[in-house]
Amino acid sequence: MKIIDPETKSVIKTICPFCSFGCEFGVVFDDFGVKGVEYLSDGNTGGRLCPRGSAAGVFLNHPRRLTVPVKSGRAVDWVRIKQELKDILAKPDKVAVCFDRNITEEEHQAILGFCKGAGISHIASTYFEPERFFKVFIKRRKPVGLDQIDRAQQIVVLGDPFNQAPMISKTLINWKLSDRKNRLVVIDSINTHTAGFATDFLKVRAGTEPLLLLGLAREKSGDIDLAGTTGIESSIIDEVSQSFKSAENGLIIVSLAFGHTYDPVLFTEALIRFSKFSGKPVMPLFEFIGFPGNEHFGAVYNLIKKRKIKYLINFGELFPYYYPQVLKGVKGLNVCATSTLKFDGIDGLPAVLNLEKEGTIITTFGPAKLSGEIKPASGTMDVKALLDMMGGVTKKVSGINEPELKIDLKERIGAVVEKSTKKTRGYLLLGEKIAFNFMGFFETPQLKINPVDGEELKVRTGDRVYVQSKNGLAEVVVKLSIDVPCGVVSIPAETPDVRELFDFEIHQELVNFEPTEVKIWKKE
Amino acid sequence: MEKRIVLDLDLCCGCRSCEAACKAAFKGEARIRHGELQGIAYLPLACRHCKEALCMTACPVAAIIRDEKTGLVIRSSFLCIGCKSCAFACPFGVIDAPLVRHISQKCSLCSDRAEGPRCVSACSSGALQLLTDKKIEKHEVGVRFVSRNPFFRRRQ
Ligand code: SF4
Ligand code: SF4
Ligand code: SF4
Ligand code: SF4
Repeated sequence: MKIIDPETKSVIKTICPFCSFGCEFGVVFDDFGVKGVEYLSDGNTGGRLCPRGSAAGVFLNHPRRLTVPVKSGRAVDWVRIKQELKDILAKPDKVAVCFDRNITEEEHQAILGFCKGAGISHIASTYFEPERFFKVFIKRRKPVGLDQIDRAQQIVVLGDPFNQAPMISKTLINWKLSDRKNRLVVIDSINTHTAGFATDFLKVRAGTEPLLLLGLAREKSGDIDLAGTTGIESSIIDEVSQSFKSAENGLIIVSLAFGHTYDPVLFTEALIRFSKFSGKPVMPLFEFIGFPGNEHFGAVYNLIKKRKIKYLINFGELFPYYYPQVLKGVKGLNVCATSTLKFDGIDGLPAVLNLEKEGTIITTFGPAKLSGEIKPASGTMDVKALLDMMGGVTKKVSGINEPELKIDLKERIGAVVEKSTKKTRGYLLLGEKIAFNFMGFFETPQLKINPVDGEELKVRTGDRVYVQSKNGLAEVVVKLSIDVPCGVVSIPAETPDVRELFDFEIHQELVNFEPTEVKIWKKE
Repeated sequence: MEKRIVLDLDLCCGCRSCEAACKAAFKGEARIRHGELQGIAYLPLACRHCKEALCMTACPVAAIIRDEKTGLVIRSSFLCIGCKSCAFACPFGVIDAPLVRHISQKCSLCSDRAEGPRCVSACSSGALQLLTDKKIEKHEVGVRFVSRNPFFRRRQ
């Protein structure tokens, strides 16, 4: 008989799969299971971890961790699931297979092979986060290392990496403080901690970052006044653009939050142009980069609407839970999706966390290996086991290509200009991606409201308010803050109820979430 | 006491990794709090383990005591009655008023961890450091603050 000894501890070294930094850390086990994480001073970041990394232990053992298949709020056994999946696979032309995040390179390959064997031709990514378009920067050239920061004289940062990807902060702040001449330009629509360190902060009108980037790349678009729309004087745009171009070494660091900018596709395209114009590389920061399918989800969505696709099998952890509004309008679709957490009244199959797998993940600095030494939570099934359970033959596939995008720049610019200059009667809700709010584990989301708006709404910090958009309603806590301009409110978009508020648009078959008009009132 | 946690405000990027590390390790207790300087900067508030600890003096049931061996000001979770006297007494606002599991949230300098404070290890920018009193005296903190925040900063 094994004697349980609470003093016995073991530490398994692994790599954090929650974002593209790939920090090394240890998971501490005692005889009762996961105890927490260990900060390894000999790890690649010297033991430093962002809040997501610290939450790894919490996640592995989370009280909402899904460990049994759930249907209509009830646990069901795997035999029933197996039969249901077999029935679905008997009609492969009516099935779409999708994937979002929390799967490894190898699992993605296995899914593709399975689809080929099963004759499923609709395969798409359901990872709709804006950073998925940053793939182009990874594909194109060798990943940019942190040493690029030390070499730079000027750095342009888009977004708020100090909150989204805090591990960059040490290098970036030390660089900034090492030489007074080092120039840090930050671009965002709200005041952020990153902006707090800037030499120059270009505070654009909410959602118009792509237009400013085009301005910095000296692109013109007919008679549209790009500078006027962003709210930044054209003389400032010219100066920053010229100065950055003429710097010997420079870097563009980019992180983008859900529902923060009007058009992530245009954003990425503008970024490519700015990078080309200035001759400076881009360092993309992302939580996950997304895997390709053979179609964009918009194509699948159209077939769902026409009732040509009736079943959707999703591997990952986001879809549909974190994008509930996408499926709200369609009827007659059966979704069978894996999830890592339990959600009220929603079906799900218990998924293994990447942290508990062996496999390859892509980081900002290249591919990295997961140790595979941490045992999956009991009851969960990884992708390969699920595919095996479904049966069928797996065929070899060498790769997969998503259809090329033809971007009509003029049309997209026009749309952003129109949206950003439209008069709204309510408040404009922006998404933030704050590592501390990872999956809502540490804190209830706080809605930042300008104190002037707060007075009008008769709310104070700590009050509870309802936020309503045409997609949903959420109850959140108020934080009065001058970080947001009047008329604009912002919130960490980490929990399903908050994310549901955001409008989405399917344009050229791509699903994008955008800043959204909302109503706010105090909870009495 | 040999070492204390010191914050180099110039380096702090406001990511709250310190707080997350503490919350994750102590089941939701944030033994390191944060304050904000009027929108200028984020300010993690770490316990100083004071020589004259007012939290200890204020505690009516002597749940907070000084560990003679280590010099740490520690709270017994068994004795704490959750009266919040310590939270009001601490001159640095380190102890958060809300209780977690009916007891106060008091830093133990991670005495359960041989490598020392988790918040210091986790700190993404290196702003939190564990220094000896001697080193603290020599450490210049906040002198580069003028480099911060364009909204409030004067042009140099
Ligand atoms: S920065 Fe990324 S890899 Fe590192 S701890 Fe945070 S989530 Fe994990
Ligand atoms: S809680 Fe406050 S008073 Fe008590 S030791 Fe810490 S800093 Fe000093
Ligand atoms: S030293 Fe440990 S207990 Fe104290 S604040 Fe830091 S992490 Fe929390
Ligand atoms: S972890 Fe470090 S940088 Fe982040 S808030 Fe805490 S002290 Fe500041």
